[in-house]
Amino acid sequence: MKLGGIKSVENAHDDSVWAVTWVPATANRPSLLLTGSLDETVRLWRSDDLVLDRTNTGHCLGVASVAAHPLGSIAASSSLDSFVRVFDVDSNATIATLEAPPSEVWQMRFDPKGAILAVAGGGSASVKLWDTSTWEIIATLSIPRPEGPKPTDKSGSKKFVLSVAWSPDGKRLACGSMDGTISVFDVPRAKFLHHLEGHFMPVRSLVYSPYDPRLLFTASDDGNVHMYDAEGKALIGTMSGHASWVLCVDVSPDGAAIATGSSDRSVRLWDLSMRASVQTMSNHSDQVWGVAFRPPGGSDVRGGRLASVSDDKSISLYDYS
Amino acid sequence: MASVYIPVQNSEEEVGVALDQLPRDASDILDILKAEQAPLDLWLIIAREYFKQGKIDQFRQILEEGSSPEIDDYYADVRYERIAILNALGAYYSYLGKIETKQREKEEHFILATQYYNKASRIDMHEPSTWVGKGQLLLAKGEVDQASAAFKIVLDGDHDNVPALLGQACVEFNRGRYTDSLDLYKRALQVYPNCPAAVRLGIGLCRYKLGQFEKAQQAFERVLQLDPENVEALVALAIMDLRTNEATGIRKGMVKMQRAFEIYPYCAMALNYLANHFFFTGQHFLVEQLTETALAVTNHGPTKSHSYYNLARSYHSKGDYDKAGVYYMASVKEVNKPHEFVFPYYGLGQVQIKLGDFKSALSNFEKVLEVYPDNCETLKALGHIYVQLGQTDKGQDFIRKATKIDPRDAQAFLELGELLILSDTGAALDTFKTARTLFKKGGQEVPIELLNNIGVLQFERGEFELAQQTFKEALGDGIWVSFINEEKKPSIDVATSTLQFKDMQLFHDLESNGQHVEVPWDKVTVLFNLARLLEQLNESGTGSILYRLILFKYPDYIDAYLRLAAIAKARNNILLSIELVNDALKVNDKCPNALSMLGELELKNDDWVKAKETLRAASDATDGKDSYATLSLGNWNYFAAVRNEKRNPKLEATHLEKSKELYTRVLIQHSSNLYAANGAAVVLAEKGHFDVSKDVFTQVQEAASGSVFVQMPDVWINLAHVYFAQGNFTLAVKMYQNCLRKFYYNTDSQILLYLARTHYEAEQWQDCIKTLLRAIHLAPSNYTLRFDAGVAMQKFSASTLQKAKRTADEVRATVAELQNAVRVFSQLSAASNLHIHGFDEKKIDTHVGYCNHLLSAAKVHLEAAEREEQQVRQRQELARQVALAEEARRKAEEQRKFQMERRKQEDELKRVQQQEEHFKRVKEQWKSSTHSKRRERSDDEEGGTGEKKRRKGGKRRKKDKHSKSRYDTEEPENDMMDEQEMEDEETDINYREEPQTLTNDEAEENAQGLLAAAGLEDSDADEDAAAPSSSIARRRQALSESDDDEPLQRQSSLVRENSADMQLSDGEIRDGDKTNGDDASD
Repeated sequence: MKLGGIKSVENAHDDSVWAVTWVPATANRPSLLLTGSLDETVRLWRSDDLVLDRTNTGHCLGVASVAAHPLGSIAASSSLDSFVRVFDVDSNATIATLEAPPSEVWQMRFDPKGAILAVAGGGSASVKLWDTSTWEIIATLSIPRPEGPKPTDKSGSKKFVLSVAWSPDGKRLACGSMDGTISVFDVPRAKFLHHLEGHFMPVRSLVYSPYDPRLLFTASDDGNVHMYDAEGKALIGTMSGHASWVLCVDVSPDGAAIATGSSDRSVRLWDLSMRASVQTMSNHSDQVWGVAFRPPGGSDVRGGRLASVSDDKSISLYDYS
Repeated sequence: MASVYIPVQNSEEEVGVALDQLPRDASDILDILKAEQAPLDLWLIIAREYFKQGKIDQFRQILEEGSSPEIDDYYADVRYERIAILNALGAYYSYLGKIETKQREKEEHFILATQYYNKASRIDMHEPSTWVGKGQLLLAKGEVDQASAAFKIVLDGDHDNVPALLGQACVEFNRGRYTDSLDLYKRALQVYPNCPAAVRLGIGLCRYKLGQFEKAQQAFERVLQLDPENVEALVALAIMDLRTNEATGIRKGMVKMQRAFEIYPYCAMALNYLANHFFFTGQHFLVEQLTETALAVTNHGPTKSHSYYNLARSYHSKGDYDKAGVYYMASVKEVNKPHEFVFPYYGLGQVQIKLGDFKSALSNFEKVLEVYPDNCETLKALGHIYVQLGQTDKGQDFIRKATKIDPRDAQAFLELGELLILSDTGAALDTFKTARTLFKKGGQEVPIELLNNIGVLQFERGEFELAQQTFKEALGDGIWVSFINEEKKPSIDVATSTLQFKDMQLFHDLESNGQHVEVPWDKVTVLFNLARLLEQLNESGTGSILYRLILFKYPDYIDAYLRLAAIAKARNNILLSIELVNDALKVNDKCPNALSMLGELELKNDDWVKAKETLRAASDATDGKDSYATLSLGNWNYFAAVRNEKRNPKLEATHLEKSKELYTRVLIQHSSNLYAANGAAVVLAEKGHFDVSKDVFTQVQEAASGSVFVQMPDVWINLAHVYFAQGNFTLAVKMYQNCLRKFYYNTDSQILLYLARTHYEAEQWQDCIKTLLRAIHLAPSNYTLRFDAGVAMQKFSASTLQKAKRTADEVRATVAELQNAVRVFSQLSAASNLHIHGFDEKKIDTHVGYCNHLLSAAKVHLEAAEREEQQVRQRQELARQVALAEEARRKAEEQRKFQMERRKQEDELKRVQQQEEHFKRVKEQWKSSTHSKRRERSDDEEGGTGEKKRRKGGKRRKKDKHSKSRYDTEEPENDMMDEQEMEDEETDINYREEPQTLTNDEAEENAQGLLAAAGLEDSDADEDAAAPSSSIARRRQALSESDDDEPLQRQSSLVRENSADMQLSDGEIRDGDKTNGDDASD
């Protein structure tokens, strides 16, 4: 397996690019790349030439997360002021503005069927689930407070939820927090199941394998990527190699590889059969905040694409084969 | 068989005595001899016969009887025989004296011999045989010159006196004049061709000494022909055979030597050579026996020296250095000049090195060097000694000389490299590489230590790939290969256990699977270093396995525990880390490294009191010599001084003083300790001596760049702090940014906070806010950052509103920012219900209130600004229209040139007035017209004034405000106005002036009024911000007190981590050296 650079856009945003996702193709258009930045804008790009399609404004403070509905028609973007804006991808019409104070908003993900938007709630130590038809909160998945003698200042902010991931069957949801613990929830029953131990530093990104609903990949500030059996609570493997925080992880649509972005300015491709890094891309000149494989489907089946975004204001697109 | 016949007195009869049947009791014969008054020559013959048969006592009995006074009386006229008897006795005692080893008895013998010779001389002064005897005696006594004189007396009388010739030859030989000696021997042989084999032996020896080996060999062989049992010749031939240094020669030589030994087991020379041989074949028991015999039978200095040397060597090789030393010393004592026999000096030197007596070893090796100035081994040994004595430079010189003399001596290069490590790692690496090449060329196995050292140096220079190769080469094949190589995963999945830092199950499983888990002792260090390298390459998982492999086999390897603890710590798993350190302490509860690390972990766990105790213990464990522990204590005191929010100035001062004292102590011990210097400079900065501390920081920064083991981001931050404190914001920003990029991959939110504070202080609000947003993004759970962001927004808004001149856009941006601030604060206020952030709700509410207040004020401002903007636009439009009108007027004038009518001008004026009224109507329309155009223009115009304003100082701003703003706005108009429109303009201006001043007043009033109220709050707010986060404060004073502290505090904690790493890696190198050192001294 191999990554080949296709195109890079310098100064794609006016400031650091913090979030990236692919908007799946619809009947009328191929899939698009959606990016969010500290410059308070969300931009849509046409692949493969990375032509700027549209710039969405309206957010205050930096845009920290973007998410796209699996059908490709709607998307959500959120900023540090904890507003979520849900909008129509093609018309940019605002569909809903979500907030759930005092809960903050960090990473967001639509479930595989597109019925629920999960939002990592930061210091509220919970994940909010929004119904995508009514845009009402349907559930709040709270991480149980650790039982201990002193739930004081230190442990208080530890269960700060940063990231969320859906299992491919949509039944499970995992979230990563500042203290490195990963919590797994049963979504239909809205119930906390268990923690996954192993990290002790923030887990900023995690993703389930598209084929194995038990297999979870997590990226942490400790520089390692862990592989968990999310049901069996077992750590299956560790992949080390990044020199600094691993900020983001995504799994390829074929489930054979994962890509990670790190503060060490590199994007790495890992072969899961070897559990080893097979390629390192170092075209970015600052922290890589997001990596995203293009989901399969749509008219263009020209093979896999991987996009990465970085603090250096640039976006890069790679061919994955 | 011959017999002698003793004539019976007074008769013709004789008593026949068969010489081979001499009676056992000499008295029988003596009785006969005396009774028959036999001639003295018969006495002599019989005595000599006894001697030949080895019956020494009988021999002496007869001769003593034969030289007794009664005989003298009786045979008074028989002079020659009497002399012969006396000389025989003298020779006998000379011989006894010569072979006697005990000094006292030896002298007694010599005295006796001298007495006999003197007696003989008294009988006849000129008897040559007496002189010859005397000469021999003197020779035996070692008085060569007197002996020579004695022989000369004889030779003067008789040129061809064979014994004298031989004696003289012997003298010359002893004097080292081998040619002369040879001539004398030759003459003796010519005179008396049938002389005994010994003469030929002398010739052989002379030729040997003269280097004519073939002729020497012929001579010796001739001796053996004549006397097959001649031990000396056999030994000489054997030595010559041995000298060939070939296997066959040596074997032949040894055969001869053995024969010599069988013939005469007391020849010291043969014994020595045999011993020498057995030394090389490793039969130490035989060596000792032989040499002891040799020592017992000889008192010849050089030979004894040889024997002692052999004995010493035997003990040396057995490792019994004390005994070896004694015998070397004995051997050295037997040698007059080192030139004669230098080996024992070398051996003695070696033993003295072993025993630690470097001074004596030095003098011994120097003696060796005198004899062999180019001997590499000696040069190396001397180099080694000088290093041990602390004279590294001299040591280097010697070893360098050794490498120059023999550029193929890998060992010498190895040692040179070891010396260079301390001073010049680059050169050391090159030298080591040369050594490695030499070993490889020579087909030898490259020593593991050498590869280890090369690896460590490469590691240190940041050549990680090379270092990894080198370490792998050093390790060779073994169980570890399966852990290191990703391709060959072992049967048991390694990955699963990478996180179980204490899990040894993996290895047990491997063993039960039949795989042999083995780590040779000499590879442990290399393995450790490789693991350390893997850590550096971010392969800490593999590193952890290797550390555990080491611990599995060597559970006492403390450093491995500590590294595992360090890995756990890097993953923020503090509890596990503490557990691992405690494991290390179980091995050695006094290990200062482990204690230091534990102390640091306890600090990280916020366990202050415990940490202090632990650090104390670490310091005590090393008698305060371990600078790390002292440093940590210094840091501890520094923290203690600055950590408390409610300061106790007295306590603070004592703690600061104490920390300074500790830093200074370290600096006294190690003047080049970067961390101590850094700490001392921090204390200096704390006290306000910024210039001094800046100097120190700069020096530390320079010194710290170079090695991978020394990573000191702290000093960059500290420098930036100093720049900041001195008001040099631009440099401070640069410094913070560089540090962030260089050391933290831009991931440290704390430094971002410093950066934001600098921007804040420099009134770069947008930069400040952006920086804070980045920090929030990196550290989302740090709510103080949000608070700071809110404050920055608030401050930005307030300062914009305070500005006299601002555009509606600016005000709009302000409003947006204020709304953000309100949102941030209210979020915080809501969140503080959930958590404790260190700031209370009320304060946030005050901020919310203030922001809302500003917001409402801003709305007024906004309206005013918008209104003003419109006015400006109107004026511009007006001007434009006027310009158009003028154009029209000019055209009209041109037309009127033909008419030249002045009256029409009045009409024109009227028309203009009408137009103006029309414009006023247009103006109204414009109000609702497109905004985009308007914005563009106002931007252009305001841009200029705004810029001018920004350059002004804050205080002057207010005073300038009126005149300046008026001037600015008036200028363009004035330019365009015509004199004719002055009237209008005046009214216009008045009209315009009014609202403008109003706005200004209002603004000022607002600003002052509100800010007067809020002013208190403002500073209050700042303090609030400063207290929990130490981020934002305006007063520079406050800086050195509160703001700077926490950053510094953090830094210092970083310092500790780093130095921990450094120490550990130091340990590694030390390890490597240690093994090498041992080898070298071997």
